[in-house]
Amino acid sequence: MSERSGRRKSRGRDAKHADRKRNQMEVAAFIDRKIPYFDYLSTESLELIEHNADTVLEEIGIDFRDDPEALSLLKDAGADVEGERVRFPRGMCRSIIQASAPKEFTQFARNTERNVIIGGDRTVLVPSYGSPFVRDLDGGRRYATINDFENFVKLAYMAPGLHHSGGTICEPVDLPVNKRHFDMIYSHIKYSDKPFMGSVTHPDRAQDTVDMAKLVFGDEFVENNCVCISLINANSPMTFDATMLGAAKVYARHNQATMISPFILAGAMSPVTVAGTATQILAEALAGMAFVQIVKPGAPVVFGTFASAISMQSGAPTFGTPEPSMVMYAVGALARRLGVPFRSGGGLTASKVPDAQAAYESANTLQAAAMSGVNFMLHTAGWLEGGLSMSYEKFIMDCDQANMLAVLLKGADMSENGQAMDALREIGPGSHFLGSAHTQANFKTAFYRSTVADNNSFEQWQADGELDCAQRANAQWKQMLNDYVAPELDPAIDEALLEFISKRKGSFPDKEY
Amino acid sequence: MLDNVGDHNEMGEEEEDIILSELPNDELVLQMHDDLYDGLKEDVVEGTTILLERGWSAEKVLSEALVGGMTIVGIDFRDGILFVPEVLLAANAMKGGMSILQPLLAETGAKPVGTMVIGTVKGDIHDIGKNLVGMMMEGAGFVVIDIGINNSVEDYLAALEKYQPDILGMSALLTTTMPYMKVVVNALVEHGLRDKYIVMVGGAPLNEEFADAVGADAYCRDAAEASTTAIRMVAEKRLACA
Ligand code: B1M
Repeated sequence: MSERSGRRKSRGRDAKHADRKRNQMEVAAFIDRKIPYFDYLSTESLELIEHNADTVLEEIGIDFRDDPEALSLLKDAGADVEGERVRFPRGMCRSIIQASAPKEFTQFARNTERNVIIGGDRTVLVPSYGSPFVRDLDGGRRYATINDFENFVKLAYMAPGLHHSGGTICEPVDLPVNKRHFDMIYSHIKYSDKPFMGSVTHPDRAQDTVDMAKLVFGDEFVENNCVCISLINANSPMTFDATMLGAAKVYARHNQATMISPFILAGAMSPVTVAGTATQILAEALAGMAFVQIVKPGAPVVFGTFASAISMQSGAPTFGTPEPSMVMYAVGALARRLGVPFRSGGGLTASKVPDAQAAYESANTLQAAAMSGVNFMLHTAGWLEGGLSMSYEKFIMDCDQANMLAVLLKGADMSENGQAMDALREIGPGSHFLGSAHTQANFKTAFYRSTVADNNSFEQWQADGELDCAQRANAQWKQMLNDYVAPELDPAIDEALLEFISKRKGSFPDKEY
Repeated sequence: MLDNVGDHNEMGEEEEDIILSELPNDELVLQMHDDLYDGLKEDVVEGTTILLERGWSAEKVLSEALVGGMTIVGIDFRDGILFVPEVLLAANAMKGGMSILQPLLAETGAKPVGTMVIGTVKGDIHDIGKNLVGMMMEGAGFVVIDIGINNSVEDYLAALEKYQPDILGMSALLTTTMPYMKVVVNALVEHGLRDKYIVMVGGAPLNEEFADAVGADAYCRDAAEASTTAIRMVAEKRLACA
């Protein structure tokens, strides 16, 4: 055998095939933003909204319904309580929040490489939440089951652009209402090692979430660190209800994060204008976040907002239109001025199927959310039909968008390599760059390569079966589920979880409400 | 420059002033349809009073002037020409007319279009849809008793007992609360009340199949359909009982 020295063994066709199939995405635990925020409103405008929000809190007040404990806590903290109406002296909420709420915090995952930092210049992308239905090209629209839920946990685990496992990705309607939270939390822990969200539909279910987290992370660790984050919606206009307050108290007392989210269909739940809606959102969020800080100073809170406008023709929520984006820009800036993390955005659409409407409405909201500085982006992937339906194909399409947001937020490379002066000198006028040393060194990662878009010639596309985007996505999610390998879970923890669940499930009867 | 006399509408066309009491019956009825369409409560009340003074029965005023007008409103809402705030005004104008007719209808023993008790089920605070349904039903001439959000079986039973409506309407937007509709229907059966009421259900996560499964009489996908279904079912029931 002749020995030629000085030449590296070529890796050949197989290696390249493997390389190209692998996702070229850098897998990161979260996005570290390197670009400025988009200031849609002037400082004077933001100050005016802050002033008006304080007026709302002082003059009109916020209802805290059916929760006497909440009322007495607020009263002791200096609020003026009249029946269930709570009025706050000017500046009170802001100073309570600024005194103790963390500007940013880490949510721990069972795999520490997946820990996310929520707040500051970070963006965490999270699957969609809350849909009673699922849909795919083969089975159409149907009530979701626990099997669908597990599928989406697996898909989110495998998606490099999603940083979080989410919460109620879809509602497992096949399980009893008062027990399905056990199976949802278990799925997040078992089938993924990304961080997850807790149950909020009853304070007991919040407690169960915390107890299950303790089996994974240990009692003391949970009491001192954030291992779960939960969605507490305001019942706008200007109301918090006992269910949400109850869950918020449980989480805060165990030092777990809550996202206080006015969830607004403007026109029905807030005034029709951007400034009016932003004012109401700020007032509600200030009251809710101050309440959490009163319950447990220092417990992580996120300023959440979900803004949509209603169709004045039917009352139905609409998405991807300019006004809710304006609200998001405004509220993002208000959250930064307050100094708390910001939740909003997502791939929102009213379309019933993963079609052109779904794609452009979602792109509109995802881009605006990224530019506005969202730290925790719930509903990034899968959302259809105003949140009524979770789509397998749309999930894949949105994941493609999520990957792109990461690139966008990284900013332009201004290093020497990024400046590419070598390439400009080497090629000069009249030639092309494909063969330049700079291109050879950079081409693999220079441009984002979409996972579902087709850019081939018409004939090639025809030869590939004339598939549209949703059809290509359909093949992809099936392949992913086929390739899925569960992350390892300590068998002792698994056993403890299962035992806890079976004991708790056996301790009270199934109920359908 | 010439002074313009009279008002101008959105299109810049001149609007002439009219005096309702000077219009013959057929023109007055048409005018009331327009007044309902534009949500002019005072004018609808005035028109109602004029027709009664001219000897029309309350039933005739209701069906020809009011329900007739609101039918047009319903059609244009369905077709996306009228917006929700406009329908709300129209329904309010209708209520203005109804407030005059109701005592008269009661006196003669004539039945109103129908009565409905409506509320969201226990654990559910989503009420935008329910409010729209209530608005459309009022617009169609129904007397609507809105018992708000988060209603238990006891709340529903008490309201049925008190108001004796034709229809029980339940709304739910959560998969975690919609099964409660079955709990309510079962309670009606237990109390021997099931056949006394038409049970209508709605809310985005429901469908026909679910409504059948809980034993409701009708599922309605939106507010416009709720009102047409309600009118039809009340009429059918009265016919069956007659
Ligand atoms: C009697 O006969 C009839 C006949 C027809 C009837 C009828 C009765 N009732 C309705 N109809 C029909 O006619 C109406 C008019 O055309 C129609 O009514 P709709 O109500 O369908 O339509 C309205 C005109 C507009 N639509 C709506 O108003 C609902 C919109 C969505 C986005 C929605 C909203 C606005 C809200 N929410 Co909630 N919310 C969602 C909804 C998603 C969606 N796209 O539907 C849904 C239903 N919510 C959900 C969730 C999860 C929740 N919400 C919650 C809270 C809220 C807000 C308070 C913020 C707000 C409600 C404000 C209010 N005052 O109503 C929480 C629960 C609160 C509670 N205890 O009830 C919370 C649990 C949030 C949380 N923290 O996790 C999801 C359902 C999950 C499930 N288990 O099924 C959800 C699908 C959104 C999502 N993806 O998360 C028809 O259905």
